[in-house]
Amino acid sequence: MLIVKELHAGYGLSEVLVGTSLAVKRGTVVALIGANGAGKTTTMRAISGLITPTRGEVVLDGQAVTGLEAAAVARLGLAHSPEGRKVFAPLSAEDNLLLGAFPWLPRFFGFRKKAAGDLARVYDLFPRLAERRHQLAGTLSGGEQQMLAIGRALMARPKVMLLDEPSMGLAPVIVQEVFRTIRRLKAEGMTMLLVEQFARAALEVADHAYVMERGRIVVEGTPAELSRDERVLAAYLG
Amino acid sequence: MLKRLLLVRGTEFLLFALLAAIPLAVQSPYALGLLTLLAIYGILLIGLDVTVGYLGQVNLAQAAFLGIGAYTAGILTTRWGVGLPMAVLAAGAVCTVLGALLALPSLRLEGPQFALATLSFLALTTTVLTEVEWLTAGSQGLSVDRPPLFGVALTPRLFFWLCLLVLAVVWMAMRNLLSGQWGRAFEALRDSPIATDAMGVGTYRHKVAAFAFGSGLGGVAGALYAYNFQYLQPQSYVYELTVVLLLGVVLGGRKSLWGAFVGATLVALLPNLLSNLLLFRAFAAVGFAMALFAGVRGLRRRAAGRFQALAPVVATGALVLGSFLEKNTEDWRKAIFALMLFSVVVGLPEGLMGFAAGALARLFRVAPPPLPPAAALDAVLPPRATRGEPLLEVRALHRHFGGVRAVDGVDLTVTAGTIHGLIGPNGSGKSTLVNVVSGLYTPTSGELLLRGAPLPRGSLFKAARAGVARTFQNLQLFTGMTTLENVMVALRGAYRLPLPLVLAGLGRGEERRAQAEALALLELVGLDGEARTPVKDLTYGAQRFLEMARALARKPELLILDEPAAGLAHPDVVRQVEVIRSIHARGVTIVLIEHHMDVVTSLCDVVTVLDGGRVIAEGKPGDVKRHPKVIAAYLGTTADEAGPAEGAPAAG
Repeated sequence: MLIVKELHAGYGLSEVLVGTSLAVKRGTVVALIGANGAGKTTTMRAISGLITPTRGEVVLDGQAVTGLEAAAVARLGLAHSPEGRKVFAPLSAEDNLLLGAFPWLPRFFGFRKKAAGDLARVYDLFPRLAERRHQLAGTLSGGEQQMLAIGRALMARPKVMLLDEPSMGLAPVIVQEVFRTIRRLKAEGMTMLLVEQFARAALEVADHAYVMERGRIVVEGTPAELSRDERVLAAYLG
Repeated sequence: MLKRLLLVRGTEFLLFALLAAIPLAVQSPYALGLLTLLAIYGILLIGLDVTVGYLGQVNLAQAAFLGIGAYTAGILTTRWGVGLPMAVLAAGAVCTVLGALLALPSLRLEGPQFALATLSFLALTTTVLTEVEWLTAGSQGLSVDRPPLFGVALTPRLFFWLCLLVLAVVWMAMRNLLSGQWGRAFEALRDSPIATDAMGVGTYRHKVAAFAFGSGLGGVAGALYAYNFQYLQPQSYVYELTVVLLLGVVLGGRKSLWGAFVGATLVALLPNLLSNLLLFRAFAAVGFAMALFAGVRGLRRRAAGRFQALAPVVATGALVLGSFLEKNTEDWRKAIFALMLFSVVVGLPEGLMGFAAGALARLFRVAPPPLPPAAALDAVLPPRATRGEPLLEVRALHRHFGGVRAVDGVDLTVTAGTIHGLIGPNGSGKSTLVNVVSGLYTPTSGELLLRGAPLPRGSLFKAARAGVARTFQNLQLFTGMTTLENVMVALRGAYRLPLPLVLAGLGRGEERRAQAEALALLELVGLDGEARTPVKDLTYGAQRFLEMARALARKPELLILDEPAAGLAHPDVVRQVEVIRSIHARGVTIVLIEHHMDVVTSLCDVVTVLDGGRVIAEGKPGDVKRHPKVIAAYLGTTADEAGPAEGAPAAG
């Protein structure tokens, strides 16, 4: 579904990614783990077109999307829930969700009606958001904002979802809820690439995992294989 | 070291020597007039650059201070026969005071509102200068004689040398000021005003001082301007001059003395450049070549977008074309200014000098002076003995946002010498509580005591001065600076030299001692190898550690760490726990907000749990973890297999 080949990318003159390759099969969850500064977030930003890769290739559902603008990549079916949530603070929760559906909704008339089904699905997934639908996103708690960011990504009816650090800065009880949601989405057949600091929790939901170090993939395998790998065990699983 | 000194100081010396030598070779009074004007504009633009460049605010009042300075000196000399040195100093003093008075209200504003406030000051000034006829002779104009200096009549040539000398003195004083703590403070308050205040560096007072200083320079330039033209009219100090001055700063390059000088050259020469067609054609061609070079290079390196690379080429191309089609360039001057400004703003956002400085830095690799060895940590952060007395007391604290009671009656006592954990679900009021304690928010009601004395409320700056230091959950580092400079900004008690001595260049010893102290703190968090690294090139984990080192530079009694481990990978979390332990071992009392329960368990002596703005439990970490209310509101079902409360790596 999503194939990344020999990707090079960075900021300004410093190159963060030096030949990252990975693949996400349809209907699977793939975890990307690694130390801070290894290039996990940069990989996601390069895939979704927020930064332009200097070399390499990104293929989404058989179509090359390398170097396209982020908006174009999103229209082709990739949704990115960024690190630190980045919800539209001055808009209501529901407007945030509707903006997630922007690519396929009509611009002026009838969009609420058309989006009703998708909204209902998101509210079913996150009942808290239904309660807070008219509250401004900036005034939601951190956990609710994270749910909103995931819900907004879902509204785009994506083929692939990128989830960057969905548990960052959240209370344990909320982290558990986020992982429950990821499992449920997986059961519904969603394809996901997940970056996560809680490596153990990430490996529990993933079908396949990659470990990144200094801009490239150093180990890959099924979660069971990684949990047996002594280096991974020592460095990331504690 | 020597090479650097030779290059930097040598070039400056060469510039001034060259300028001073020109009148010996060239006798034309026209050229001498231009040179004098260049020196005067140089002083004026260095002053303007303080607000436009260093504070990052559009200041439209500098032309007004030129006028006020000119009239002050002119009136003092013609009416009361005051000598030249006294008159120049008086003009500077009057403008410094007026600048401070204007800055006090208007620097509470930002961006366009600040620009409008300065614009109205400009309008007010020209009106007053026109209407107070008994003093200024109004629109008839005021003739000023150039008084002798210490009994020597000032010929045009001598007067030029005087102006050049003043420019050299201003230049050096400014460099001494900006290379020390003042320069860092300006940089810091543009990057993050919140963090600047939280580090005990008063954002507002630095801004007011900077603006007053820049205005004072405008006054000095005005006095010289008056003696240069010897005839003053209020109409000379209005909008067109304001725009041209701004253009000079932007063209030359902000935040650079050389930039101000280059800008002054352009401002002084432009009108004359336009009257000579051949010169103008050459000038346009050079601009076109530069735009083409920069554009092609930017595109090839993917450093510039297509618009940024091509627009200046098109604009300067139009200039070249126009210079051959149209003979009367004077009539087109405004269009020419517009095209030039457009090309520079788009193609060289850093200005000519910013562009040149980048190229020069690549040509001459001059190593910065070596850092001093790190100071002993015991000298920087002396171990503090604590006797278990209450350090921070929070009583019946409320903070409401509209109808939301973010903190709803919290009582909390932090004992000196402990690590006090603060946990709770998102939105439970932890961050609001520490934001009230550290002065970011004013409490709605309640009491805050530090060592039994009331803690200043609602001012980050005052709370920081009282001994509270904090880190920020969403990193508030000064991204334009290096790692070392970030810590140096916050260093407490390191800069004691009075301002005049700093201006005279006597601050270097103090500066080296500050570097040594900052290095010791970087060593403590393991960042001493990254001292010269720009913060934006640090990894996320390293930035978290830098936040801690910077807060420690306040040498605080109470250190608040707001989610220091958020987003950190396991190895970094382990290291951070060690660093927090070693900070605590020096007797610093720590309030720790954290979601990694294992970090909280291994570090904290006491844990307070908040929910819905109230305390729901308090006690030893082990007891609190078993509290049913805490499990329900925060920890969740520990049976859940994904529960990171269990599944997260064990730290320490």
